Amino acid sequence: MSDRIFATVWLAFCAAVAWLAWQIDAPFSYEPIGPRAYPLLLTGIMAASAAWLLVKPDREPDWPRGALRVKAFLLLAGFLAYAMLFEWLGFPLATVLATVVIGRLFDGGWRESAIAGVVLGGGLWYFFDKLLDVTLPLGRLWALA
Amino acid sequence: MDSLDHLAQGFVVAARPINLLVAFLGSFIGTVVGLLPGLGPINGVAILLPIAFAMKLPPETALILLASVYIGCEYGGRISSILLNIPGDAGALMTALDGYPMAKKGLAGVALSISAWSSFVGSIVATIGLALFAPILARWALAFGPAEYFVLMVFAISCLAGMVGERPIKTLLAALIGLVLATVGIDSGSGVYRFTFDDVHLSDGIQFIVVVIGLFSVSEMLVMLEQSHGGQVVIRNTGRAMFNLKEMAETWWGTVRSSVIGFAIGVLPGAGATIASAITYMVEKNLTDREGTFGTGDVRGVAAPEAANNAAAGGAFVPMLTLGVPGSGTTAVMVGALTLYNITPGPMLFEQQPDLVWGLIASMFIGNVMLLVMNIPMVGLFARLLYVPNWILVPGIAAISFVGVYAVHATTFDLVLMVALGIFGWGLRKLGFPMAPLLLGFVLGDMMEQNLRRALSISDGHVGILFQSPVSVTLWVLAVLVLVAPALVRRLRRKR
Repeated sequence: MSDRIFATVWLAFCAAVAWLAWQIDAPFSYEPIGPRAYPLLLTGIMAASAAWLLVKPDREPDWPRGALRVKAFLLLAGFLAYAMLFEWLGFPLATVLATVVIGRLFDGGWRESAIAGVVLGGGLWYFFDKLLDVTLPLGRLWALA
Repeated sequence: MDSLDHLAQGFVVAARPINLLVAFLGSFIGTVVGLLPGLGPINGVAILLPIAFAMKLPPETALILLASVYIGCEYGGRISSILLNIPGDAGALMTALDGYPMAKKGLAGVALSISAWSSFVGSIVATIGLALFAPILARWALAFGPAEYFVLMVFAISCLAGMVGERPIKTLLAALIGLVLATVGIDSGSGVYRFTFDDVHLSDGIQFIVVVIGLFSVSEMLVMLEQSHGGQVVIRNTGRAMFNLKEMAETWWGTVRSSVIGFAIGVLPGAGATIASAITYMVEKNLTDREGTFGTGDVRGVAAPEAANNAAAGGAFVPMLTLGVPGSGTTAVMVGALTLYNITPGPMLFEQQPDLVWGLIASMFIGNVMLLVMNIPMVGLFARLLYVPNWILVPGIAAISFVGVYAVHATTFDLVLMVALGIFGWGLRKLGFPMAPLLLGFVLGDMMEQNLRRALSISDGHVGILFQSPVSVTLWVLAVLVLVAPALVRRLRRKR
């Protein structure tokens, strides 16, 4: 079933890509092919493969269930929040928060995760920003205050 | 003779203090990344690449770092296979079959030392093979025109489809997704923007590092959440730390055979360390296992797959350096690394960047000696890392991955895109899509399109040019063969 759903979504995606590709237009062309044909060719083969998958799907994979599903969603939400807050809160603070959330999801205690967070947030910031010269954000939030 | 001169020059490059330091660090990090279950060479190389770039390391130094991480991983993977019965990376899967039973018998030290030794032999054989064959192949590849290149890439993708994963159609779809992702951004042929939705962030395409880290790091952490292996016990009693002469003699020919086979398999695009170790294990079992001791803790069953996975890793450098077509997911990342430095891998690399190529080869010799030293007497230190709990390991991987992506363009957009690709990749993996073809498609995408269009410009739009030269016809035939052969073999077996 999952394969069928994927194949259907993917066919719709192919249609959208093909529609977008059709509108690509090069005002000047120095070659016989142009920028449009290759994406169209790819989507064609891709749509054919997806159609095949629709006809002959595999067995159902075991998606996480119950508590594990909740945990997986929480981890995803955590990653997304980490990504969005990375610049805004700055690397050290965002990392402390992310470590606490992820650490808890991987069965760490509150105190252990908090300590890990401070060590990672501070340590990695010092290591990358100061020692290796990889510039990391300190947060826009503080600039406002 | 020519090659020897170049190699001597390479050793001069490799012996610069910075390059020695980087080879040492890379070997160390590689062993650590390899032994941690869930992290393989692709993750290690992908996370280090942006950091190396942000530190403004010169290209040969960056490449030496990535290569030694790659080789280090192939050494490190065996440690958790033997002590935990969980392969540290995919290439060490077969090592667990005899390594873990050996460890249970109290022979963990012997298993660890003999596998380090055979890893070393495998790697050295492969590096010699690389130094011998790569220049010849590169000279031959100079005659390749755009049509031949295009067909070569078709061949690489069909190699993958024929050999990786259960369902060739899913491998093909994965490769196509990669190829489509690569078309985003400005088209270098006409200067037109494609699929950018007028967004500045997409105008020069989706960043390579965003794709790799999303697909391999973010989705890997989700997989780690699903398989929390709390119940496994690390074997502490390792017994005798060194193999004896009898064990060495017993494994010697198997190690040499597996090194040669592993190298040959590694050279093929698409077939990497995992397939090489599986095949050589089977070969050794059929050739030498008269008492039926394979699988119950036989030293030969530990030595063979370890020699093979290291040799395959070395072999994967051949197509990458000579043709610019990577032979494995990890070398695909390295092609991406060279592109960041505006170096196009291909047959010209040996002429235009001899310091880079031969410095790399020379440092692979040096790195292997370092790894042998690290992996026999110091193996106990590494084994302790198996006790690092996930609640600190996973946030650490997350933070370093985010730093890696942020280091390239310093935008939130890239971070969010990475997470989105990670979720997408995790879904695909659950559905049984292999990830390496997607990455390979993404790396080859632009090259494939440009070569196709160049070929068709030469022929003024006639498709016939793709089937004209003997080289391209041979490659087409091979491409069809590798696609059809495994399915045919399977069908024949079922009938019997």
